Amino acid sequence: MRYIIFILLSLNLFALDATLKIETDVEHRTRLSIEDGSSTINDKFFKILLSDLKISGHFLAETTHNRADLNSVSSLSKNSEYVLKYSLNQNRGTKLTIRLLKSSNGTEIFKKSYAIPSTAKAPFLAHKAISDINDVLKYPSINWINRYVIFARYTVPKQSEIILADYSFNYQKAIIRGGLNLFPKWADKNQQSFYYTSYAGTLPALKKLNIYSGSNRTIASSQGMIVCSDVSSNGSKILVTMSPNAQADIYEMSASGGSKKRVTSFSDIDVNGKYANNDSSVVFVSNRLGYANIFKKSIGGSGVSQLVYSGKNNNAVDVYGSKVVYSSRESHNSFGNNNFNLYLTSTNGSGRRPITTTGTNQFPHFSNDGSVIQYIKHRGGTSSIGYINLNSKQSLLFPLGGRKIQSIDW
Amino acid sequence: MIKKLILTTTISLLVFTGCSNKIPNISDGNNNVSDSTAITGDAVSIDESSSYAGASSNSSADGFQSVYFAFGNYGVSSSMQEIISYNASNALNSSGKIKIEGNCDEFGTDEYNYALGIKRAKAVKDAMGSQGFDTSRVLLVSYGESSPICTTQTDNCYAQNRRVDLRISR
Repeated sequence: MRYIIFILLSLNLFALDATLKIETDVEHRTRLSIEDGSSTINDKFFKILLSDLKISGHFLAETTHNRADLNSVSSLSKNSEYVLKYSLNQNRGTKLTIRLLKSSNGTEIFKKSYAIPSTAKAPFLAHKAISDINDVLKYPSINWINRYVIFARYTVPKQSEIILADYSFNYQKAIIRGGLNLFPKWADKNQQSFYYTSYAGTLPALKKLNIYSGSNRTIASSQGMIVCSDVSSNGSKILVTMSPNAQADIYEMSASGGSKKRVTSFSDIDVNGKYANNDSSVVFVSNRLGYANIFKKSIGGSGVSQLVYSGKNNNAVDVYGSKVVYSSRESHNSFGNNNFNLYLTSTNGSGRRPITTTGTNQFPHFSNDGSVIQYIKHRGGTSSIGYINLNSKQSLLFPLGGRKIQSIDW
Repeated sequence: MIKKLILTTTISLLVFTGCSNKIPNISDGNNNVSDSTAITGDAVSIDESSSYAGASSNSSADGFQSVYFAFGNYGVSSSMQEIISYNASNALNSSGKIKIEGNCDEFGTDEYNYALGIKRAKAVKDAMGSQGFDTSRVLLVSYGESSPICTTQTDNCYAQNRRVDLRISR
């Protein structure tokens, strides 16, 4: 009996779904209180700070929105180890000043100011401030909260827009409006350019746009479909799903589009190629067993190995190092709401475990350090962008608008 | 029994929470930092609405009729053969390239749905080819789930979106 209980407890602890609200390691997180010294109260900004602190997994922040002058020391909390004092000014652009004090004696540990010409981009200052505090306290990096998210969403039939956002979706800017432009994928680690599929011409074309210079060039085109699924670690090569012969297969292409090599060759569907094993292999989705499932093959090799042996529709996958995350359909309704859950496994297929337990969870993506998984969650008629911190077991959901997200990258 | 439950719970929690990070120790005042970060540079914004106005039709045109498919399927059913014959005849009496567009309902995801759209478009192309139509005149394009005719959440509505549209390519 005790073994059964032990197993049940273990399963629950490994399932990191937001709805479970698992709060582990409480005693190992830094207790922090926050004091707002801004002349104008901005509750939204305060909540972004709280979200950043929570998803880091390194802080337990008091949720009371205290007000106190930036330079005062009089109201230091006795229940926290540190006090984060800040002042936000959005008269012209956004300016943020923060101070981190020790609660016990008021010693200033860190002070820094931030500025950005836009008021809309204020969330990025919150993210940068919290990642700096995290670094000062020598916790493992959470730099992923500073990165842009890029996604495509449908507007009307055959039209979409590509949006740039912060990880919390509090900031959003349309990069490409009008037309049908899909499957945005960051082209470089610094997020200067992204690949996307354009339907402006007769055939779908893979394009690359620099978001700062506006430089936009066509990499390749194909009848049927063409999608950049992944970018090699040094950015020199890309994995592309395309169908020049009316057959969706995975190709490896130089980043300029100058040369290409066919990686898979199957009479049905091979899509969603992701680099694995130091870019020498590809993990991908194929229906070669009659349903969508996850497979792996060496680039240039001929053998294909099945990576996942459960689930009847495993239709999206991402890879970081030896870690693999995929979505799997858990119910069998032809129509309506099916449950899709995310599972974590490895590039050799071992260690499979669920990381969500409720709702429809799709589009999984690893952060640039592999420590966090981003995904889209649909549940009870609402959609959210979700994050699961694999190290700290913290999770967060941010609400999305009503329009359907087509594809997302981080 | 209750003792066993408490013991098992305690052991489980210890096993799964025992290897966490410790709070880092920061010395008082020795590593104070005071500097600033200015985030500059703003992303471009492109509007393609005007250049894309003519491509938004989501039904067959130029005398062609749409071909419909079963859920998750890309085989042309016997009930669609009459439409295939009609389209092949219409194609033989037309000139220029013919664009065959594969579409899906909303239940697929991401790349897989677009690949399914190609399979449907190719199935229609091959079926028309078997009736004497020169398929070298065909352009295949998959629109995945991006081009629904109907957005009501009913089986009948979803069935209208699992289709292949045909038109003269312009």
